[in-house]
Amino acid sequence: MLLYRHSRLVCRKKINLQNLKVFCGQFDTIHKYWGPNWKLLLHKPDANQLRSERSAKSTEYRREGEKGKSKKMGIRFILMVNKQGQTRLAQYYEYLTLEERRALEGEIVRKCLARNEQQCSFVEHRNYKIVYRRYASLFFLVGVDNEENELAILEFIHLLVETMDRHFGNVCELDIMFHLEKAHFMLEEMVMNGCIVETSKANILSPIQLMDKAS
Amino acid sequence: MDQLKMIGRELAMGSQGGFGQSKEFLDLIKSIGETRSKAEEDRIVLREIETLKTRLGNPNTPKFKLKEYLVRLLYVEMLGHDASFGYIYAVKMTHDENLLFKRTGYLAVTLFLNEDHDLIILIVNTIQKDLRSDNYLVVCAALNAACRLINEETIPAVLPQVVELLGHHKEAVRKKAVMALYRFHQRAPGSVSHLVSNFRKRLCDNDPGVMGATLCPLFDLITIDVNSYKDLVISFVNILKQVAERRLPRSYDYRHMPAPFIQIKLLKILGLLGNGDKKASEHMYTIVGDIMRKFDSTSNIGNAVLYECICCVSSIHPNPKLLETAADAISKFLKSDSHNLRYLGIDALGRLTKINPEIAEQHQLAVIDCLEDLDDTLKRKTFELLYKMTKSSNVEVIVNCMVDYMININDNHFKTEIASRCVELAEQFAPSNQWFIQTMNKVFEHAGDLVNAKVAHNLMRLIAEGFGEDDNIVDSQLRSSAVESYTRIIGEPILPSAFLQVICWVLGEYGTADGKYSASYISGKLCDVAEALSTDEIVKAYAVTALGKIYSFEIAAGRKVNLLPECESLIEELLASHSTDLQQRAYELRALIGLDAHVVANLMPMDASCEDIEIDKGLSFLDGYIQQAIENGAQPYVSESERLGMSNISNFKSQEQHEFLTHSLRFEAYELPKPSMTPQVPPVLASPTELFPVSVPYYHTEVNYSTTPVPSISSAGSSELQLRLDGVQKKWGHPSYFSPTSSTLNSDAAKIQNGSTKPDSVGSANSEARHVSYDSRKPQVEISPEKQKLAASLFGGASKSDRRQSSSSQKVPKNNSHAAYKSHVEKTATSDTGAQKTSQPPSDLLDLGETTGTSILPSLDPFKQLEGVLDQTQDPTSLNTGGFSGTDAPDIMSLYVDTSLRDQGNSTANLLSTVNDSSSLLSGFSDATNRTGHGGNTVAQLTQKLSEGPNHKDSLEKDATVRQMGVTPSGQNPNLFKDLLG
Repeated sequence: MLLYRHSRLVCRKKINLQNLKVFCGQFDTIHKYWGPNWKLLLHKPDANQLRSERSAKSTEYRREGEKGKSKKMGIRFILMVNKQGQTRLAQYYEYLTLEERRALEGEIVRKCLARNEQQCSFVEHRNYKIVYRRYASLFFLVGVDNEENELAILEFIHLLVETMDRHFGNVCELDIMFHLEKAHFMLEEMVMNGCIVETSKANILSPIQLMDKAS
Repeated sequence: MDQLKMIGRELAMGSQGGFGQSKEFLDLIKSIGETRSKAEEDRIVLREIETLKTRLGNPNTPKFKLKEYLVRLLYVEMLGHDASFGYIYAVKMTHDENLLFKRTGYLAVTLFLNEDHDLIILIVNTIQKDLRSDNYLVVCAALNAACRLINEETIPAVLPQVVELLGHHKEAVRKKAVMALYRFHQRAPGSVSHLVSNFRKRLCDNDPGVMGATLCPLFDLITIDVNSYKDLVISFVNILKQVAERRLPRSYDYRHMPAPFIQIKLLKILGLLGNGDKKASEHMYTIVGDIMRKFDSTSNIGNAVLYECICCVSSIHPNPKLLETAADAISKFLKSDSHNLRYLGIDALGRLTKINPEIAEQHQLAVIDCLEDLDDTLKRKTFELLYKMTKSSNVEVIVNCMVDYMININDNHFKTEIASRCVELAEQFAPSNQWFIQTMNKVFEHAGDLVNAKVAHNLMRLIAEGFGEDDNIVDSQLRSSAVESYTRIIGEPILPSAFLQVICWVLGEYGTADGKYSASYISGKLCDVAEALSTDEIVKAYAVTALGKIYSFEIAAGRKVNLLPECESLIEELLASHSTDLQQRAYELRALIGLDAHVVANLMPMDASCEDIEIDKGLSFLDGYIQQAIENGAQPYVSESERLGMSNISNFKSQEQHEFLTHSLRFEAYELPKPSMTPQVPPVLASPTELFPVSVPYYHTEVNYSTTPVPSISSAGSSELQLRLDGVQKKWGHPSYFSPTSSTLNSDAAKIQNGSTKPDSVGSANSEARHVSYDSRKPQVEISPEKQKLAASLFGGASKSDRRQSSSSQKVPKNNSHAAYKSHVEKTATSDTGAQKTSQPPSDLLDLGETTGTSILPSLDPFKQLEGVLDQTQDPTSLNTGGFSGTDAPDIMSLYVDTSLRDQGNSTANLLSTVNDSSSLLSGFSDATNRTGHGGNTVAQLTQKLSEGPNHKDSLEKDATVRQMGVTPSGQNPNLFKDLLG
């Protein structure tokens, strides 16, 4: 029944047996995708390792804190990740290096995908929160500052999906993959500088439609 | 089957986009989509990188191909591989005439580059050109890029055009221009501060999209400086009213709610503006009440708006009717099945308990449910709530819950957070010493390496000094209970280093003090520790020092000392240690043992850690040397605080927060030393000889000096703690930071707020009533007895709340009280004086009776207020009026700047409504400077310091311009200063 909750997204991508297996053993597939290494992090690190990590971590946290202070922004990043943990779209509103992005995505995906449907759609991570929502095979993850209204962000994700739906007609993971740049254009219209600036679907889509017509 | 589907998909693709993607692209996407492991995906991407490298280099690639390659590059980067070889092609693409290509180019550039990348310089020109384009879509694309890529240095290049675009006829352009300007303001507030008024103008834009976007920068500006935007309250309320009455186009509706995202943003802003301001809040009551009444509880977005309303209501000046509605809404949230709503409910409850502590008690069972929920997020939020409602009556239950939770989680970040909260609560509310020691033991045992090193030092100090009272019996009981528990714990196999340090120190100081344990027993334990941790030199050093103390106490008491064999071998080993610190300690220990009782008793007096060591902070013994150096032409030292004071001024220019600048680098070069300047200094300039005594306390070598005898903490995380001058260590082995942790400060502030909303006398009466209501509610729900018990212990005895204040006040160590006090004064000084009624501190907390007096005063006369502030500051520090040369002068100065600037800014704001904010602040400042100039000599000196010596001229000039604008300082104020400063 989970599969049919968001029927529109599902209907185009027929569910086959393999998919079903993936759904049930979601955790296994992430494991498969990310390799055995990521699981290491789940173990309790021993004291020595901890100590060496700590010095690195503490600077990291401090830097993060400073960042948060100097630049206040509601939304820090928007990620679309499929159920195997593969990134399908990533937009960061603060600059992170490639390695930082990779590490962050790995950590977050692990955290969010392990949760079940009954649990909250919000996860605290370091000094910010992640609001996530699942549509069939795709997870939308939005990292926001602590002051942000989580439920509103959750609905913002839905607005984004509705907008893409209106443009692509029954949007699915493949639509986003084939038209990555268009998905980005839509995001550019909706979010600027980490703030939600436009929520009217007509306004969001009109430049994109004009561009389609022109070219 | 899968393949068939793919083919169908590809066909569909061909018909959909304007540009059919190439077979190659479809294949790539397909193969990426079908990968089942990260390794496989990496292989594909690496192959793709090779292909792209050769293809992109080909000069004859058609444009639409190039666009496709760029998208493929996006994939490469998105999947975690370096695509820097292709960045230049993205930059090139931005030059393209075709809109789609151009925009794709901009998109790729914004995703690839950060604003400090070398290639940015190539794009700035393109952006400039595109901003002038006739095609508004091109302008939009350029503004998007400008928002991401323009850094501080390149802002001036595009700023004029962006400002021009604020008046563009297309609303999409105006909206993006507003956001670009906002971005510039975030990056470099100084460079656009004269344009801030544009945001106000755009708020009145016809287009709701532009108006909605403008709320973002305004929200930020209001967070920084509430007072200068109070005049917008009515506009915001009107806009919210219009939005709620569905005056906006239907396209903004979401789930039948009129523009909910704009509503939420507006409610956030109103919450800020109404905070502690009764007059402003009164405008809001109706509309917020309306929205709360009309909300739609079936949809998520309706609940989101409702939640925002609750946040707003809890932030603005309390209104009983709204609070009641909010409480109803919260109970609906908490009763909901959805975890999301319960999460919000808990959060909202936390906000509301600040105003009305009784609300939490109505929902105790729901809270307990959330606490026991399997969902970690919900649990954590509930702990946050519990943390907010901790009192001395329920501290034991709450801290125990938190410690249990802390033990079970792996995430270091949250472990640290919870551990520090436990420590904080335990320090504030501990019902007994026994319990405190036990709790700290538990926290240290499980998170010792994660908590701040300060906490360990605080614990040591607490054990050494007791709980403040001069009751020696209690203190020694505390110590012996600590020793007892430590001798038990020390046997555990793995203990964090910080905890072992505490144990070693305590055992060394007090191990044999009560005669319960023999010296050989304790020293045996210490040797075990030192040997078990062969790698940890800090712990070893602590252990050796502790051994030294134990033996010297023995010798001093006239007993015969027999070194244990393991102790002997330890010393032998350390004498040859690689660490010079350990070596020295070992040698000292050996020398100590050889001395006779009388000498040892003098060297190592019992309980010496509690004695204060006099430190010549002024380093007066260096005066002669400095004088000589100055006579030889050296520049006098300018104290750190003065340098900060200077930056304070530029700070207000740029309207930035004070803290930011204190951490930043200083860019101006040091002045070259001028030969023998001293006698010929013109009187207008701040003469170095006059300044000289002020600068001494902050002499740099002193900081170094204070660290040198403390090798033991040098690596124990002290690097992240800012060294304070009053943090000089006491006697060996007991490095003590006397600077209070910031968390304690915060909690002090929180307590003040709590205390203010509910006077104690009312509190006991209320709690009785609560007991009754709780009893009557009990039978109607069948809940497990344990839960009820937990609930009762969490929410039950609020009647003890008065005790908590006395206990907390006694636990603020003497040295802390001054700093805490200062921060408090700062707080009261900076907060809005117009509506201070809500934050009157309880008078018994830090003996701050006077502050209350000033805070009630209206903000009309800032100098009266300043007088009060100065008075108080002098009082506890027992400075005489002439004593500004002491270390406190900078603080007073900053206070002074704060208050006067703020209030001046306010009062002049009306007069200078045409001038923008920053200049009105500036004029306020120079105005104040001028006024102080009328005072005595001391004041003049202060002013000079304020205006950064040579810049005095500048401030005079500014003053002149202010006068031209028609603001003349009134002549009556200088008298105040004469009275004040003699």
